[in-house]
Amino acid sequence: MLSRRQFLQFSAVSAAGLSTSSLGILGFSATQVLAEVRQYKLERTTETRNTCPYCSVGCGLLMYSLGDKAKNAPAEIIHIEGDPDHPVNRGTLCPKGAGLLDFVHSPNRLKYPEYRAPGSDKFVRISWDDFIAKNADGTTVNRWLSTGFLAASASSNESGYLTHKVVRSLGILAFDNQARV
Amino acid sequence: MTKVNVIQPGTIEAPPGDIPFLLLPERNTFQARASRLRALAEGHALADYLRFLAALARAQHESLSLFRRVLLPEAQELERCREHGMPPLGTRGWVRDPVWREALRGILTELEAGTLPEAGRATAARLKDTDDASLERVAETLLAGDYDETLDRAAIPFIGAALQAYWLHLVTTLGAGAFGRLETPHLCPACGSAPMVSVVSVGASDHGLRYLTCPLCSMQWHAVRIKCVFCDTTKGIAYYGIEGGSAAVKAESCEACQGYLKILYMENDPNMDALADDVASIALDVLMADSGITRRGTNFFLF
Repeated sequence: MLSRRQFLQFSAVSAAGLSTSSLGILGFSATQVLAEVRQYKLERTTETRNTCPYCSVGCGLLMYSLGDKAKNAPAEIIHIEGDPDHPVNRGTLCPKGAGLLDFVHSPNRLKYPEYRAPGSDKFVRISWDDFIAKNADGTTVNRWLSTGFLAASASSNESGYLTHKVVRSLGILAFDNQARV
Repeated sequence: MTKVNVIQPGTIEAPPGDIPFLLLPERNTFQARASRLRALAEGHALADYLRFLAALARAQHESLSLFRRVLLPEAQELERCREHGMPPLGTRGWVRDPVWREALRGILTELEAGTLPEAGRATAARLKDTDDASLERVAETLLAGDYDETLDRAAIPFIGAALQAYWLHLVTTLGAGAFGRLETPHLCPACGSAPMVSVVSVGASDHGLRYLTCPLCSMQWHAVRIKCVFCDTTKGIAYYGIEGGSAAVKAESCEACQGYLKILYMENDPNMDALADDVASIALDVLMADSGITRRGTNFFLF
């Protein structure tokens, strides 16, 4: 096998290597390529595997995102498609799954607890502490019936275990997993 | 009343079954490559070189007829290789038929009339007069991959071209059924070479799947996406492209082994040819070299 060092010496593809490569020895000029390269910049994207959060089928997803973590640029998901290697969906997605990008970027996503006071017509953002205090208030902690919990379909066995521990220790009775819906 | 389109049986394609492991190269690979190279050469910074490679690919195609009577591995041997996960046409093990040197001389003669620069013409003339033993030695070193400063670099594009034609003949004659999976999944199942680039397919049963492409025999074999081909890591895989440039060619890099392999998305440009577009996207390699990530793909025309 070729060591990395050997390969560097024999690779034509660096700015220094082009003229001593076979391309250069045969009399072809690389000057124009090198001049062009000086105007170019690299752009980094990533592809990530995930599982569709919608239903129990558990289709594989590829998510494409832009942004360089090293430069503190916020990563942004730009495209989602079915994972062609996934044995369940082999690259395909149902209409709900195909619309996942809009789901990710939806302005209506709930990202924090909100509270609508009795008689009020709008929701107001509250802190997690307030949320827990309000919910715990007046409820019997070992039979919390006013709240349910639904975990995601992409959960592993370990997160299933954690879900159970968290939810049961809060006294919530109703909880289920999206993968069963 | 609006016209109702009734879908007939067979209109909707059957759902994809198993992942096809091998995509056998076409017999006209070199012809297709030549026309792709000619198209790429238009207005390209490396136009002369791409036109030379187009002429070379045409000559490779012509040379295919020379291999009609070459020896193929026996059925028993193929069976044994499949059983033990070995490449039957391995670059180190397979005994080359001397007719490849005839192909080399044919290619050199074809190119004499072409547009080679002075230095290239001299190399071609020199190679035509080189004795068989020396040619075999260069081929041996190139295929084994253990070369040093003494390697005759100027000869690689010509010798590599002749060997490519010979190996393409072998794999297209044997057919995909002759080959099985190797124990080392990143090496070519037919000849054991390390890959040149990877290609994300378009089409029916192979749509969106990634195939590694062999620099020697042009065979394509399946490899799971978003995974380092060389060290199997799935974390820290990034895709580099030229800002504002083509989205069809990216460099798939691995944080763990600090290497990259180009990945060609056929969806963005269905006319791409693995070898031609690898050479034509050399600007990406130069930028990657500047950022310190090492190229791992082998290409006889980027030596």
